[in-house]
Amino acid sequence: MLNKDVKIINVGIADIQSGQSPSVIRTTLGSCIGVVFYAPEKKVGAMAHIMLSKDSSGKDSAKNPFKYADTALPQLVKKMEELGCAKGEYYARLFGGASMFKGMNSSFLQNIGDLNVSVAKEFLDKEKITLLVEEVGGHEGRTISLYLDDGRILLKKGGFEKYLYKVR
Amino acid sequence: MKEKIDQLFQNEAQLPKMSSVVSKVMEMASKPDVVIADLAKEISKDPGLTAAVIKLSNSAYFRPSKPVKTVQESLMTLGIKTVREIILLNETKGILKKELKGYQVDGEANWLHSLIVAELAMRIAVQKKLKIDKDVVFTAGLLHNIGKVILSEFFPTVLMQFRTELQNYEGLYTELEAKFFGYTHQEAGAKLLTKWNFPEELIEVAKFYTEPEKAVHFPELVSVVHIANCIVLVGGMGIDIGGLRIPLSPKALQITGVTEGDLQMYYTLLPEMAKHIEELISV
Repeated sequence: MLNKDVKIINVGIADIQSGQSPSVIRTTLGSCIGVVFYAPEKKVGAMAHIMLSKDSSGKDSAKNPFKYADTALPQLVKKMEELGCAKGEYYARLFGGASMFKGMNSSFLQNIGDLNVSVAKEFLDKEKITLLVEEVGGHEGRTISLYLDDGRILLKKGGFEKYLYKVR
Repeated sequence: MKEKIDQLFQNEAQLPKMSSVVSKVMEMASKPDVVIADLAKEISKDPGLTAAVIKLSNSAYFRPSKPVKTVQESLMTLGIKTVREIILLNETKGILKKELKGYQVDGEANWLHSLIVAELAMRIAVQKKLKIDKDVVFTAGLLHNIGKVILSEFFPTVLMQFRTELQNYEGLYTELEAKFFGYTHQEAGAKLLTKWNFPEELIEVAKFYTEPEKAVHFPELVSVVHIANCIVLVGGMGIDIGGLRIPLSPKALQITGVTEGDLQMYYTLLPEMAKHIEELISV
Protein backbone atom coordinates (compact mmCIF):
# COMPACT_ATOMS: atom_id res chain seq x y z
CA MET A 1 0.00 0.00 0.00
CA LEU A 2 1.15 3.47 -0.83
CA ASN A 3 1.42 6.07 1.88
CA LYS A 4 -0.38 9.27 0.87
CA ASP A 5 2.74 11.38 1.42
CA VAL A 6 4.73 9.33 -1.06
CA LYS A 7 5.36 11.25 -4.24
CA ILE A 8 4.85 9.41 -7.52
CA ILE A 9 7.15 10.58 -10.27
CA ASN A 10 5.92 9.63 -13.72
CA VAL A 11 8.42 9.09 -16.48
CA GLY A 12 6.93 9.99 -19.85
CA ILE A 13 7.91 8.57 -23.20
CA ALA A 14 11.49 9.65 -24.09
CA ASP A 15 12.09 11.03 -20.62
CA ILE A 16 14.47 10.66 -17.66
CA GLN A 17 13.46 11.22 -14.04
CA SER A 18 15.21 10.74 -10.73
CA GLY A 19 14.36 10.91 -7.05
CA GLN A 20 15.09 9.86 -3.50
CA SER A 21 13.40 7.83 -0.77
CA PRO A 22 10.44 7.58 -0.19
CA SER A 23 9.31 8.64 -3.70
CA VAL A 24 8.23 6.16 -6.35
CA ILE A 25 9.28 6.43 -10.01
CA ARG A 26 6.89 4.87 -12.50
CA THR A 27 6.58 4.25 -16.24
CA THR A 28 4.73 2.06 -18.77
CA LEU A 29 6.62 0.34 -21.56
CA GLY A 30 5.74 -1.32 -24.85
CA SER A 31 8.68 -1.70 -27.20
CA CYS A 32 10.45 1.04 -25.29
CA ILE A 33 12.91 0.08 -22.57
CA GLY A 34 13.09 1.26 -19.01
CA VAL A 35 16.61 1.41 -17.62
CA VAL A 36 16.66 1.68 -13.84
CA PHE A 37 19.67 2.73 -11.74
CA TYR A 38 19.44 2.45 -7.96
CA ALA A 39 21.98 3.14 -5.24
CA PRO A 40 20.94 1.07 -2.19
CA GLU A 41 23.16 2.89 0.34
CA LYS A 42 21.96 6.38 -0.56
CA LYS A 43 18.40 5.30 -1.50
CA VAL A 44 18.38 7.35 -4.66
CA GLY A 45 17.70 6.29 -8.22
CA ALA A 46 16.92 7.30 -11.77
CA MET A 47 14.90 5.85 -14.63
CA ALA A 48 15.11 6.35 -18.39
CA HIS A 49 12.24 5.56 -20.79
CA ILE A 50 13.99 5.02 -24.13
CA MET A 51 12.21 4.61 -27.48
CA LEU A 52 14.90 3.63 -29.97
CA SER A 53 18.45 2.30 -29.99
CA LYS A 54 19.85 5.13 -32.05
CA ASP A 55 18.90 8.07 -34.23
CA SER A 56 18.94 6.98 -37.85
CA SER A 57 18.37 10.54 -39.09
CA GLY A 58 21.29 11.81 -37.05
CA LYS A 59 19.49 15.10 -36.43
CA ASP A 60 16.81 14.34 -33.86
CA SER A 61 19.06 13.10 -31.06
CA ALA A 62 20.65 16.52 -30.54
CA LYS A 63 17.19 17.92 -29.86
CA ASN A 64 15.72 14.88 -28.08
CA PRO A 65 18.60 12.95 -26.49
CA PHE A 66 16.34 10.95 -24.15
CA LYS A 67 14.60 9.25 -27.08
CA TYR A 68 17.64 7.21 -28.08
CA ALA A 69 19.65 4.72 -26.04
CA ASP A 70 23.06 5.90 -27.22
CA THR A 71 22.40 9.47 -26.11
CA ALA A 72 20.06 8.86 -23.14
CA LEU A 73 22.17 6.35 -21.22
CA PRO A 74 25.20 8.67 -20.73
CA GLN A 75 22.67 11.23 -19.43
CA LEU A 76 21.32 8.65 -16.99
CA VAL A 77 24.87 8.09 -15.68
CA LYS A 78 25.23 11.85 -15.34
CA LYS A 79 21.97 12.00 -13.41
CA MET A 80 23.36 9.51 -10.87
CA GLU A 81 26.50 11.67 -10.53
CA GLU A 82 24.28 14.66 -9.81
CA LEU A 83 22.62 12.60 -7.08
CA GLY A 84 26.08 12.08 -5.60
CA CYS A 85 26.63 8.51 -6.81
CA ALA A 86 29.84 7.33 -8.37
CA LYS A 87 29.96 4.20 -10.50
CA GLY A 88 29.97 1.11 -8.32
CA GLU A 89 27.46 2.65 -5.90
CA TYR A 90 24.50 1.86 -8.11
CA TYR A 91 23.26 -1.12 -10.11
CA ALA A 92 21.12 -1.48 -13.21
CA ARG A 93 17.85 -3.28 -14.00
CA LEU A 94 16.28 -3.47 -17.43
CA PHE A 95 12.62 -3.79 -18.54
CA GLY A 96 10.44 -3.60 -21.63
CA GLY A 97 11.52 -4.14 -25.22
CA ALA A 98 8.41 -6.11 -26.17
CA SER A 99 7.72 -6.76 -29.82
CA MET A 100 4.58 -6.78 -31.94
CA PHE A 101 2.59 -9.91 -32.54
CA LYS A 102 4.29 -12.50 -34.72
CA GLY A 103 3.94 -12.03 -38.45
CA MET A 104 4.01 -8.26 -38.19
CA ASN A 105 3.98 -6.40 -41.42
CA SER A 106 6.71 -3.99 -40.47
CA SER A 107 10.24 -5.08 -39.68
CA PHE A 108 10.77 -1.69 -38.07
CA LEU A 109 7.97 -2.03 -35.49
CA GLN A 110 8.80 -5.71 -35.03
CA ASN A 111 12.45 -5.16 -34.16
CA ILE A 112 12.47 -1.98 -32.06
CA GLY A 113 12.28 -3.88 -28.77
CA ASP A 114 15.14 -6.32 -29.40
CA LEU A 115 17.42 -3.57 -30.69
CA ASN A 116 16.72 -1.41 -27.67
CA VAL A 117 17.59 -4.26 -25.31
CA SER A 118 20.83 -5.19 -27.04
CA VAL A 119 22.11 -1.60 -27.26
CA ALA A 120 21.33 -1.00 -23.58
CA LYS A 121 23.19 -4.17 -22.59
CA GLU A 122 26.21 -3.19 -24.67
CA PHE A 123 26.31 0.17 -22.93
CA LEU A 124 26.12 -1.33 -19.43
CA ASP A 125 28.83 -3.80 -20.34
CA LYS A 126 31.14 -1.14 -21.69
CA GLU A 127 30.55 1.14 -18.70
CA LYS A 128 30.94 -1.78 -16.27
CA ILE A 129 27.59 -1.14 -14.60
CA THR A 130 26.27 -4.40 -13.18
CA LEU A 131 22.97 -5.57 -14.64
CA LEU A 132 21.12 -7.25 -11.76
CA VAL A 133 17.70 -8.08 -13.20
CA GLU A 134 16.11 -8.07 -16.62
CA GLU A 135 12.53 -8.68 -17.71
CA VAL A 136 12.46 -8.02 -21.43
CA GLY A 137 10.91 -9.17 -24.71
CA GLY A 138 7.61 -10.96 -25.27
CA HIS A 139 4.43 -9.36 -26.54
CA GLU A 140 3.19 -7.67 -23.40
CA GLY A 141 3.46 -4.18 -22.06
CA ARG A 142 4.92 -3.59 -18.61
CA THR A 143 4.35 -0.99 -15.93
CA ILE A 144 7.28 -0.67 -13.55
CA SER A 145 7.37 1.24 -10.27
CA LEU A 146 10.66 1.81 -8.47
CA TYR A 147 10.18 2.28 -4.72
CA LEU A 148 13.13 4.37 -3.65
CA ASP A 149 12.82 3.49 0.05
CA ASP A 150 14.33 0.04 -0.54
CA GLY A 151 14.74 -0.16 -4.30
CA ARG A 152 12.17 -2.85 -4.93
CA ILE A 153 10.34 -2.83 -8.25
CA LEU A 154 6.66 -3.58 -8.76
CA LEU A 155 6.23 -5.12 -12.19
CA LYS A 156 2.76 -5.29 -13.77
CA LYS A 157 2.44 -7.38 -16.88
CA GLY A 158 -0.25 -9.38 -18.65
CA GLY A 159 -2.71 -9.13 -15.78
CA PHE A 160 -0.19 -10.13 -13.11
CA GLU A 161 1.92 -8.15 -10.71
CA LYS A 162 4.97 -9.06 -8.69
CA TYR A 163 7.69 -7.42 -6.62
CA LEU A 164 11.34 -7.76 -7.55
CA TYR A 165 13.57 -7.19 -4.52
CA LYS A 166 17.09 -7.73 -5.81
CA VAL A 167 18.90 -4.37 -5.58
CA ARG A 168 22.58 -5.30 -5.26
CA MET B 1 -21.91 -12.99 -19.29
CA LYS B 2 -23.45 -12.19 -22.65
CA GLU B 3 -26.88 -11.98 -21.03
CA LYS B 4 -25.56 -9.53 -18.47
CA ILE B 5 -24.16 -7.30 -21.15
CA ASP B 6 -27.38 -7.56 -23.16
CA GLN B 7 -29.28 -6.51 -20.05
CA LEU B 8 -26.95 -3.57 -19.64
CA PHE B 9 -27.71 -2.39 -23.13
CA GLN B 10 -31.44 -2.75 -22.51
CA ASN B 11 -31.36 -0.96 -19.20
CA GLU B 12 -29.99 2.37 -20.31
CA ALA B 13 -29.79 3.83 -16.83
CA GLN B 14 -26.49 2.01 -16.27
CA LEU B 15 -24.91 2.93 -19.57
CA PRO B 16 -22.65 5.94 -20.05
CA LYS B 17 -24.90 8.71 -21.36
CA MET B 18 -24.67 11.73 -23.61
CA SER B 19 -26.19 14.90 -22.18
CA SER B 20 -29.30 16.07 -24.03
CA VAL B 21 -27.65 19.37 -25.00
CA VAL B 22 -24.68 17.53 -26.49
CA SER B 23 -26.94 15.15 -28.46
CA LYS B 24 -28.89 18.10 -29.79
CA VAL B 25 -25.74 20.01 -30.75
CA MET B 26 -24.32 16.92 -32.52
CA GLU B 27 -27.51 16.56 -34.50
CA MET B 28 -27.67 20.26 -35.42
CA ALA B 29 -23.98 20.46 -36.32
CA SER B 30 -24.26 17.57 -38.75
CA LYS B 31 -26.78 19.45 -40.91
CA PRO B 32 -25.32 21.47 -43.78
CA ASP B 33 -27.78 24.35 -43.37
CA VAL B 34 -27.23 24.91 -39.64
CA VAL B 35 -27.30 28.54 -38.49
CA ILE B 36 -24.34 29.47 -36.28
CA ALA B 37 -26.46 31.67 -34.00
CA ASP B 38 -28.88 28.78 -33.33
CA LEU B 39 -26.04 26.43 -32.57
CA ALA B 40 -24.43 28.97 -30.23
CA LYS B 41 -27.75 29.39 -28.43
CA GLU B 42 -28.12 25.63 -27.94
CA ILE B 43 -24.58 25.26 -26.59
CA SER B 44 -25.14 28.21 -24.23
CA LYS B 45 -27.96 26.31 -22.51
CA ASP B 46 -25.25 24.37 -20.70
CA PRO B 47 -22.94 26.66 -18.68
CA GLY B 48 -20.31 23.97 -18.08
CA LEU B 49 -20.19 23.15 -21.77
CA THR B 50 -20.00 26.84 -22.68
CA ALA B 51 -17.04 27.38 -20.37
CA ALA B 52 -15.29 24.28 -21.75
CA VAL B 53 -15.80 25.37 -25.36
CA ILE B 54 -14.32 28.81 -24.72
CA LYS B 55 -11.43 27.43 -22.69
CA LEU B 56 -10.51 24.73 -25.20
CA SER B 57 -10.95 27.08 -28.15
CA ASN B 58 -8.22 29.28 -26.69
CA SER B 59 -5.82 26.39 -26.02
CA ALA B 60 -2.54 26.11 -27.89
CA TYR B 61 -3.89 22.94 -29.48
CA PHE B 62 -6.59 24.69 -31.50
CA ARG B 63 -4.63 27.93 -31.94
CA PRO B 64 -7.43 30.42 -32.71
CA SER B 65 -6.41 33.34 -34.96
CA LYS B 66 -7.68 35.73 -32.26
CA PRO B 67 -8.77 35.23 -28.64
CA VAL B 68 -12.23 33.68 -28.33
CA LYS B 69 -14.60 35.13 -25.72
CA THR B 70 -18.00 33.67 -26.66
CA VAL B 71 -19.36 30.45 -28.14
CA GLN B 72 -20.42 32.34 -31.24
CA GLU B 73 -16.86 33.65 -31.74
CA SER B 74 -15.54 30.16 -31.26
CA LEU B 75 -17.85 28.82 -33.97
CA MET B 76 -16.83 31.59 -36.35
CA THR B 77 -13.09 31.41 -35.68
CA LEU B 78 -12.59 27.64 -35.51
CA GLY B 79 -15.54 26.42 -37.56
CA ILE B 80 -18.51 24.25 -36.68
CA LYS B 81 -16.68 20.94 -37.18
CA THR B 82 -13.88 21.84 -34.80
CA VAL B 83 -16.28 23.10 -32.14
CA ARG B 84 -18.22 19.86 -32.52
CA GLU B 85 -14.96 17.99 -31.92
CA ILE B 86 -14.29 20.11 -28.81
CA ILE B 87 -17.75 19.36 -27.43
CA LEU B 88 -17.36 15.64 -27.97
CA LEU B 89 -13.93 15.71 -26.39
CA ASN B 90 -15.33 17.44 -23.33
CA GLU B 91 -18.30 15.09 -23.10
CA THR B 92 -16.39 11.82 -23.50
CA LYS B 93 -13.58 12.80 -21.14
CA GLY B 94 -15.51 11.50 -18.13
CA ILE B 95 -16.00 8.15 -19.84
CA LEU B 96 -12.56 7.72 -21.39
CA LYS B 97 -10.70 8.93 -18.31
CA LYS B 98 -12.06 6.00 -16.31
CA GLU B 99 -9.73 3.34 -15.03
CA LEU B 100 -9.99 0.15 -17.11
CA LYS B 101 -9.69 -2.12 -14.09
CA GLY B 102 -9.78 -5.49 -15.75
CA TYR B 103 -7.44 -4.34 -18.49
CA GLN B 104 -4.87 -3.00 -16.02
CA VAL B 105 -4.90 0.49 -17.56
CA ASP B 106 -5.36 3.53 -15.34
CA GLY B 107 -7.65 6.42 -16.26
CA GLU B 108 -4.95 8.91 -17.19
CA ALA B 109 -3.25 6.35 -19.45
CA ASN B 110 -6.50 5.51 -21.21
CA TRP B 111 -7.26 9.19 -21.77
CA LEU B 112 -3.76 9.81 -23.13
CA HIS B 113 -4.14 6.76 -25.38
CA SER B 114 -7.47 7.97 -26.79
CA LEU B 115 -6.22 11.48 -27.47
CA ILE B 116 -2.94 10.45 -28.98
CA VAL B 117 -4.57 7.89 -31.29
CA ALA B 118 -6.93 10.71 -32.37
CA GLU B 119 -4.05 13.09 -33.02
CA LEU B 120 -1.87 10.54 -34.82
CA ALA B 121 -4.75 9.26 -36.97
CA MET B 122 -5.42 12.83 -38.02
CA ARG B 123 -1.77 13.41 -38.87
CA ILE B 124 -1.61 10.21 -40.95
CA ALA B 125 -4.74 11.23 -42.88
CA VAL B 126 -3.29 14.68 -43.60
CA GLN B 127 0.21 13.45 -44.44
CA LYS B 128 -1.08 10.72 -46.78
CA LYS B 129 -3.54 13.22 -48.30
CA LEU B 130 -6.51 10.91 -47.75
CA LYS B 131 -9.87 12.25 -48.73
CA ILE B 132 -11.43 12.03 -45.30
CA ASP B 133 -12.47 14.88 -43.06
CA LYS B 134 -9.76 15.41 -40.46
CA ASP B 135 -12.25 16.27 -37.71
CA VAL B 136 -14.03 12.97 -38.31
CA VAL B 137 -10.68 11.17 -38.12
CA PHE B 138 -9.95 12.85 -34.78
CA THR B 139 -13.32 11.85 -33.32
CA ALA B 140 -13.07 8.31 -34.67
CA GLY B 141 -9.63 7.98 -33.08
CA LEU B 142 -10.88 9.38 -29.81
CA LEU B 143 -13.74 6.87 -29.53
CA HIS B 144 -12.19 3.77 -31.11
CA ASN B 145 -11.95 1.61 -28.00
CA ILE B 146 -14.79 3.04 -25.93
CA GLY B 147 -16.24 -0.48 -25.62
CA LYS B 148 -13.45 -1.37 -23.20
CA VAL B 149 -15.12 0.88 -20.64
CA ILE B 150 -18.24 -1.30 -20.83
CA LEU B 151 -16.48 -4.67 -20.61
CA SER B 152 -14.11 -3.39 -17.95
CA GLU B 153 -17.04 -3.16 -15.55
CA PHE B 154 -17.54 -6.91 -15.88
CA PHE B 155 -13.92 -7.98 -15.64
CA PRO B 156 -13.35 -8.25 -11.88
CA THR B 157 -15.57 -11.29 -11.45
CA VAL B 158 -13.96 -13.37 -14.18
CA LEU B 159 -10.52 -11.87 -13.98
CA MET B 160 -8.56 -14.71 -12.43
CA GLN B 161 -9.78 -17.24 -14.98
CA PHE B 162 -9.26 -14.77 -17.79
CA ARG B 163 -5.67 -14.06 -16.72
CA THR B 164 -4.80 -17.74 -16.39
CA GLU B 165 -6.07 -18.47 -19.87
CA LEU B 166 -4.32 -15.42 -21.29
CA GLN B 167 -0.93 -16.69 -20.12
CA ASN B 168 -0.82 -19.57 -22.59
CA TYR B 169 -2.97 -18.01 -25.25
CA GLU B 170 -1.38 -17.30 -28.60
CA GLY B 171 -4.45 -16.25 -30.58
CA LEU B 172 -6.22 -12.94 -30.94
CA TYR B 173 -7.01 -11.24 -27.68
CA THR B 174 -10.46 -10.26 -28.89
CA GLU B 175 -11.36 -13.93 -29.43
CA LEU B 176 -10.72 -14.46 -25.77
CA GLU B 177 -12.92 -11.48 -24.89
CA ALA B 178 -15.72 -12.98 -26.95
CA LYS B 179 -15.28 -16.31 -25.16
CA PHE B 180 -15.49 -14.74 -21.69
CA PHE B 181 -18.02 -11.97 -22.27
CA GLY B 182 -20.02 -13.05 -25.26
CA TYR B 183 -18.89 -9.79 -26.84
CA THR B 184 -15.64 -8.29 -27.96
CA HIS B 185 -14.97 -4.75 -26.79
CA GLN B 186 -15.30 -3.70 -30.43
CA GLU B 187 -18.88 -5.03 -30.56
CA ALA B 188 -19.68 -3.39 -27.22
CA GLY B 189 -18.27 -0.07 -28.44
CA ALA B 190 -20.24 -0.20 -31.67
CA LYS B 191 -23.41 -0.97 -29.70
CA LEU B 192 -22.85 1.99 -27.40
CA LEU B 193 -22.23 4.42 -30.26
CA THR B 194 -25.34 3.11 -31.99
CA LYS B 195 -27.31 3.80 -28.80
CA TRP B 196 -25.98 7.34 -28.90
CA ASN B 197 -27.14 7.73 -32.52
CA PHE B 198 -23.62 8.44 -33.67
CA PRO B 199 -22.74 8.56 -37.37
CA GLU B 200 -22.13 5.28 -39.13
CA GLU B 201 -18.44 5.91 -39.79
CA LEU B 202 -17.66 6.18 -36.08
CA ILE B 203 -19.55 2.96 -35.40
CA GLU B 204 -17.62 1.14 -38.13
CA VAL B 205 -14.30 2.30 -36.67
CA ALA B 206 -15.23 1.06 -33.18
CA LYS B 207 -16.34 -2.26 -34.69
CA PHE B 208 -13.40 -3.01 -36.96
CA TYR B 209 -10.40 -1.01 -35.80
CA THR B 210 -8.51 -4.20 -34.97
CA GLU B 211 -9.55 -5.93 -38.21
CA PRO B 212 -9.67 -3.15 -40.81
CA GLU B 213 -9.93 -5.63 -43.67
CA LYS B 214 -13.53 -6.22 -42.58
CA ALA B 215 -14.55 -2.56 -42.96
CA VAL B 216 -17.16 -2.26 -45.70
CA HIS B 217 -18.18 1.40 -45.94
CA PHE B 218 -15.25 3.42 -44.59
CA PRO B 219 -12.10 1.32 -45.13
CA GLU B 220 -9.75 4.34 -45.26
CA LEU B 221 -10.97 5.79 -41.98
CA VAL B 222 -10.91 2.42 -40.21
CA SER B 223 -7.40 1.71 -41.55
CA VAL B 224 -6.00 5.04 -40.40
CA VAL B 225 -7.29 4.53 -36.85
CA HIS B 226 -6.02 0.92 -36.90
CA ILE B 227 -2.49 2.00 -37.80
CA ALA B 228 -2.47 4.86 -35.28
CA ASN B 229 -3.64 2.49 -32.53
CA CYS B 230 -0.89 -0.05 -33.30
CA ILE B 231 1.85 2.58 -33.22
CA VAL B 232 0.61 4.15 -29.99
CA LEU B 233 0.50 0.69 -28.35
CA VAL B 234 4.08 -0.04 -29.44
CA GLY B 235 4.93 3.21 -27.65
CA GLY B 236 3.36 1.70 -24.52
CA MET B 237 0.61 4.31 -24.16
CA GLY B 238 -2.61 2.68 -22.97
CA ILE B 239 -1.15 -0.79 -23.43
CA ASP B 240 -3.38 -3.30 -21.64
CA ILE B 241 -3.13 -6.88 -20.39
CA GLY B 242 -3.54 -8.07 -23.97
CA GLY B 243 -0.21 -6.45 -24.69
CA LEU B 244 0.82 -6.14 -28.30
CA ARG B 245 -1.38 -8.88 -29.64
CA ILE B 246 -3.06 -6.87 -32.37
CA PRO B 247 -1.26 -7.59 -35.64
CA LEU B 248 -0.73 -4.65 -37.98
CA SER B 249 -2.89 -5.25 -41.03
CA PRO B 250 -1.08 -5.30 -44.42
CA LYS B 251 -4.38 -4.32 -46.03
CA ALA B 252 -4.58 -1.17 -43.90
CA LEU B 253 -1.07 -0.17 -44.98
CA GLN B 254 -2.03 -0.76 -48.58
CA ILE B 255 -5.28 1.23 -48.37
CA THR B 256 -3.64 4.25 -46.76
CA GLY B 257 -0.31 4.06 -48.59
CA VAL B 258 1.58 4.11 -45.29
CA THR B 259 5.14 2.88 -45.86
CA GLU B 260 7.76 1.38 -43.55
CA GLY B 261 9.47 4.78 -43.47
CA ASP B 262 6.20 6.47 -42.49
CA LEU B 263 5.70 4.03 -39.61
CA GLN B 264 9.15 4.84 -38.31
CA MET B 265 8.48 8.58 -38.55
CA TYR B 266 5.09 8.35 -36.79
CA TYR B 267 6.60 6.28 -33.96
CA THR B 268 9.48 8.70 -33.53
CA LEU B 269 7.05 11.63 -33.35
CA LEU B 270 5.07 10.23 -30.40
CA PRO B 271 6.78 12.28 -27.67
CA GLU B 272 6.24 15.54 -29.57
CA MET B 273 2.59 14.60 -30.13
CA ALA B 274 2.14 13.82 -26.45
CA LYS B 275 3.48 17.31 -25.72
CA HIS B 276 1.12 18.83 -28.26
CA ILE B 277 -1.94 17.31 -26.62
CA GLU B 278 -0.80 18.11 -23.07
CA GLU B 279 -3.36 20.89 -22.72
CA LEU B 280 -6.19 18.64 -23.87
CA ILE B 281 -5.16 15.97 -21.35
CA SER B 282 -5.23 18.41 -18.45
CA VAL B 283 -8.74 19.67 -19.25
